[in-house]
Amino acid sequence: MERRKTTGDMSAAELADVLTQVRAGDSEAWGELYGLYAPAIFRFCRRALHTREDAEDATMEIFMKVRQKLGTYDSTRPFTAWLYKLASNHCWDLLRRRRVRQVLETGDLETLPLEHPDPSQLVKLQIDQDSKHVRAGLAKLPDRARMALVLRYFSEMSYDEIADTLGVRRAFVGVLLLRARHQLRDVLGESAGGGSSARSRGAVAEGKA
Amino acid sequence: MNHFDEMTSLLYLEGQLDNDHAQEVRSHSSACPECRSLLHALQTESVWLRASLEADDESVPARLMQAPRRGSTPWGWASAFALGAGGAYTAWSGFIEPWRAQAAQAGFTQGSILTMLFFSSAFWKGWDAMRSLTEFLAVATLGMVVIWLLRRHLRRMTRMSTVGVVMGAVVCAVALSPSAGAAEIKHGDPNYTLASGEVIHTDLIVSADSTRIDGDVDGDLITFSRSVTVNGHIKGDVISFSQELRVNGPVDGNVRAFVQSLQLNDLIGHNLMAWAEEVNLGEKAKVNGTITVGSEHLELNGTVAGDLLAFSGDVELNGSLGHDARIRAGQLSIGSGAVIAGHTQAQVRRQPDVSSSAKMGGFDWTYTKHMSDTGYSSPRLYWHQALKWGASFVFGMVLLFLAPGFFFDGANACKRVAPAIGFGALFLFALPIAAFIVCLTVVGIGVGISAFLLWMIAIYASQVLVAAWLGERLLGAGPGVGAALGRLALGLLILRAIRLLPFLGGLICFVVILWGMGAVILAIYKHMRPQLTQAAV
Repeated sequence: MERRKTTGDMSAAELADVLTQVRAGDSEAWGELYGLYAPAIFRFCRRALHTREDAEDATMEIFMKVRQKLGTYDSTRPFTAWLYKLASNHCWDLLRRRRVRQVLETGDLETLPLEHPDPSQLVKLQIDQDSKHVRAGLAKLPDRARMALVLRYFSEMSYDEIADTLGVRRAFVGVLLLRARHQLRDVLGESAGGGSSARSRGAVAEGKA
Repeated sequence: MNHFDEMTSLLYLEGQLDNDHAQEVRSHSSACPECRSLLHALQTESVWLRASLEADDESVPARLMQAPRRGSTPWGWASAFALGAGGAYTAWSGFIEPWRAQAAQAGFTQGSILTMLFFSSAFWKGWDAMRSLTEFLAVATLGMVVIWLLRRHLRRMTRMSTVGVVMGAVVCAVALSPSAGAAEIKHGDPNYTLASGEVIHTDLIVSADSTRIDGDVDGDLITFSRSVTVNGHIKGDVISFSQELRVNGPVDGNVRAFVQSLQLNDLIGHNLMAWAEEVNLGEKAKVNGTITVGSEHLELNGTVAGDLLAFSGDVELNGSLGHDARIRAGQLSIGSGAVIAGHTQAQVRRQPDVSSSAKMGGFDWTYTKHMSDTGYSSPRLYWHQALKWGASFVFGMVLLFLAPGFFFDGANACKRVAPAIGFGALFLFALPIAAFIVCLTVVGIGVGISAFLLWMIAIYASQVLVAAWLGERLLGAGPGVGAALGRLALGLLILRAIRLLPFLGGLICFVVILWGMGAVILAIYKHMRPQLTQAAV
């Protein structure tokens, strides 16, 4: 899966050059690298964290970490993958610290049975909700569900990377994503007037053939 | 025919199924319109989710336009540190050191520095110069806080936030204090006299070199003066910060005096509280309530209806007391005219001198304990430390359960050592000064007292936040209440152990207070910011 493009017109060789200069302590190169990635990382943080202010602080902190840890970056791997991994670890760490109460409140959610969706309702929901509403709905999800969706559909992380970041088994990532989708559908369905939830009431998952 | 469930469909679309399994889904869905439609709906949902998350309708904040520079010194905390250091120096050289010297001269060499603050006439000396400096410091601090809180909104020139308005109002209240009060405020030139027969129908606040009140005051009398003589009738309280206070007229309320010398010769309707070098209750003096005194010398010849609590260099009792007396003094003498209806309990340095004709309900006394009793070999010291540790742990636990966000933000803010200590230094010294000045405006007494109380709570909370940070450094960060409490307990234990070190312990404790105080401020700021933003939108 192709990772999000954030480097504009810069080629891989140019990026490698900039990274070398940053490592050598060139502040101009650092400014260039920051200008290239800060907007994308801010947008990532904005989607992962609760408030704009938290996202601003986190972006600054992530780039301080980038500067400190750039020595550990393996240049044979894509830089964006490393950067997003760092950013997602940082954000998840922030969220986890504040989760003391939520863990107690939402612990049972993972074991609730899911209702089978009605495809036509699902499509209708997608037509009705614009991106602003979706992101507002996303903000209402529990931290782990929101984080899973952002890591997968914004940062384009693999299941392995998501499992590693969120500290869950790889086999659980699919369950996490599906439940997050259900929660988002419910939130958006309720905000659209309660009646248009994508659930088919009474329908039950029928199991594999 | 059984259909695929939604989980399998999603894993298929995300390319997470093995080949055989995926092939199974492919062949089933080609023959099953229902499953095909589910696959299609999930596929479009993925596209829709990606598009929604990618949509870029929010600008990048201006603050993030510039790359953070290594080792850069943000002007905010640098100036905060400088201002804090200035405030600390002023407070030490202008207030604490003269007081300490004076207190040492008066024989109070073993008390805590905070206790000494009240035992002095130096409160008045150089007050004018100090006042202008402290006013400047306080107003500058408040102004800085307002600008700091509103910096983004000011840039956008949007509406002022509610907090901004409140802070602005406080600054105005400080700046315009003389005209803002609901009381009559008099500045002496240099002396002030309320002539006999004149009546002030509200509170009277006087600042003058010498103050003489021959008339009557219906409300409270508050004085900042070198010498104060009250001959008239005061229907409220008398609150005096002065070198010398003589009360020769009746006071219906309380007398609260922070003075060098206090002389009472008439009726006090309620209680007397005095921090003074010398307190003298004449034979005609009568206090209907209780007396609480901290002084170098206390002489009681009048009548007191309630209890007496005295911390004094020496105490002479010749008058009558309606209830109990608790006295801690260097020297105690109870004269022949003394009548004490209740029980007298005294802790003294020298054997008390008690006249055989004194009438007392009961009397027991002990020698003041020496410092060696609380030395390192004493189990009592460790018992006390354990109790204090328990108290701070309970406080931290309450903080963690009531405000987990604040708790973790605070502990997190401790990581920013230099800004935290800088802001801590600023607020530790400037806030009480600002609170005191706001109190002087009278209308701001509520704000000032609340700020002072919050300041004290913040000092206590500071050790908790630093302890949480310390625990995290040692044990590592892990989620959950239990882990957080474990880290807190360990951190507090270490801090308490460090405090037992001679000299160094006190110094480290002070740094911990500065550091934690700064973390409290940074955490509060972080919590306030979203509200500020909402208020401005």
